[in-house]
Amino acid sequence: MICKLLYKAAFILCTTAVVIGCKEEGYSVPVPKSGLQNDVIKKSVGPGLVGMDIEFMYAMAIQKSEGKLVSAKVEASIPGASETYLEHRSYHTDAVGNDIGVPVATPSVTNGAVTEVMFNVDTTATTLRYYYRPTPDAVDKDVSFTFTATSSNGQTATYEMGPYRIRRMEIASNLPVSNGNRCYISVEDMTVYNEIEAAAIPEKIDVLYLFRSIAGINFNHSLVAPAADAIYRPDITLPPGVNRNTKIQKAWNVRDIHLGANANGNNSYVYLDDEDFRTLDLRAAPNYAINMLAQSGIWVETADAKYRAYIYVNSINANGSAVIGIKRYRL
Amino acid sequence: MTKVLTYKVLYATLFVLTALVTVRCAKDEFPVDEDGLLITSRTSAYVGSFDLWSPTHQTVVVGTAAVDTVAQTINLQVQFGTDLTRLWPRFSLITDAKLEPKITGFVDFSDLENPKQWTVISGNRQVRKVYTVHVTVQQP
Repeated sequence: MICKLLYKAAFILCTTAVVIGCKEEGYSVPVPKSGLQNDVIKKSVGPGLVGMDIEFMYAMAIQKSEGKLVSAKVEASIPGASETYLEHRSYHTDAVGNDIGVPVATPSVTNGAVTEVMFNVDTTATTLRYYYRPTPDAVDKDVSFTFTATSSNGQTATYEMGPYRIRRMEIASNLPVSNGNRCYISVEDMTVYNEIEAAAIPEKIDVLYLFRSIAGINFNHSLVAPAADAIYRPDITLPPGVNRNTKIQKAWNVRDIHLGANANGNNSYVYLDDEDFRTLDLRAAPNYAINMLAQSGIWVETADAKYRAYIYVNSINANGSAVIGIKRYRL
Repeated sequence: MTKVLTYKVLYATLFVLTALVTVRCAKDEFPVDEDGLLITSRTSAYVGSFDLWSPTHQTVVVGTAAVDTVAQTINLQVQFGTDLTRLWPRFSLITDAKLEPKITGFVDFSDLENPKQWTVISGNRQVRKVYTVHVTVQQP
């Protein structure tokens, strides 16, 4: 008798649980928050470098019944370069994916560390892009940002972002090199010279680009120090004084996104950072790298131990030329 | 009838559990060497294949290394421009064998007159064969 009662009670409990559990919740339209709202995301990833924009998206909105947007401004803790600006257009993509900008404000004005736009179109919600370009003054320092929006009802909304460390690394990308012509690479100057130019500044030439087709070996595209053994730099007479003994270590699968965009979604792309150069140990490295391939590179330490660098080979051509990029760290 | 069946199932379960515990607790009688590796009955001691890697983890060997298990030599040529001071040897050995000395980092092969040697030790740790690695560099 007791068992029967227990079974019945359990059955009723289970049935009730199923009925309650399966009850569909009614949908209600979310009620937007009252007052001026704002939000920020940092779009650019990777370490911040001098001369390379850091991009943010600043979103702000107020209900139509409460007012409209009046102004938006960003204050950086360290003033940016003259290229720093806040977009005065609000972007959307059209049917074929084009980025379409709709002006909603006057072009931004920057005074010191503050960049501001004034809305000149009735706007209650928008997202503005902000591009901050670090200057050499920001190197090795943290930079923070205060985003502020104001609305016609007198409200102010702010959003803090950061801090972000601006790195010591410097970058020079897409430098064409060619055999017998622009083949003198200077890490000191972050550029490539021809023979006449190199002869004028021999103390600044750190690496030579050579292309040779030699029977029996794969010499092809090579990067060697001027002081390397002659067997590794055949058929070239260096200008007087071009004799630096640069440490060179071949690298493979180090594809830096700053030096070469990741066009095909390869997940081996990375951001080299200050820490990579600080911890780099080239004491046992040779002074040459033979048979370089596209998307390979070399780690470098200059003879005076003033710089460490990564020279990336973006592309090579069978006619004896290549495109390289340099990322440098001052020791 | 039901009670008898229940007892049978109970005894069977108990038996299986006891057997499992006995097997699990049996003392491991396989011997291991000083490296904690299993000593087996295998007497073979030879190199199957050999490769040399650069610090970029790419092979520097031209073609493939020639392993002579009778002469106990490995002959190979490395690419022109190879930095011989920092190369990582990669041996493929017969099952259960091990190598002496152990390879724990880059090896300096630059002294071509004095080739490097490694000893392959069989699975039973009784047979030892010394292999000599002869390296030449590709020349233009």
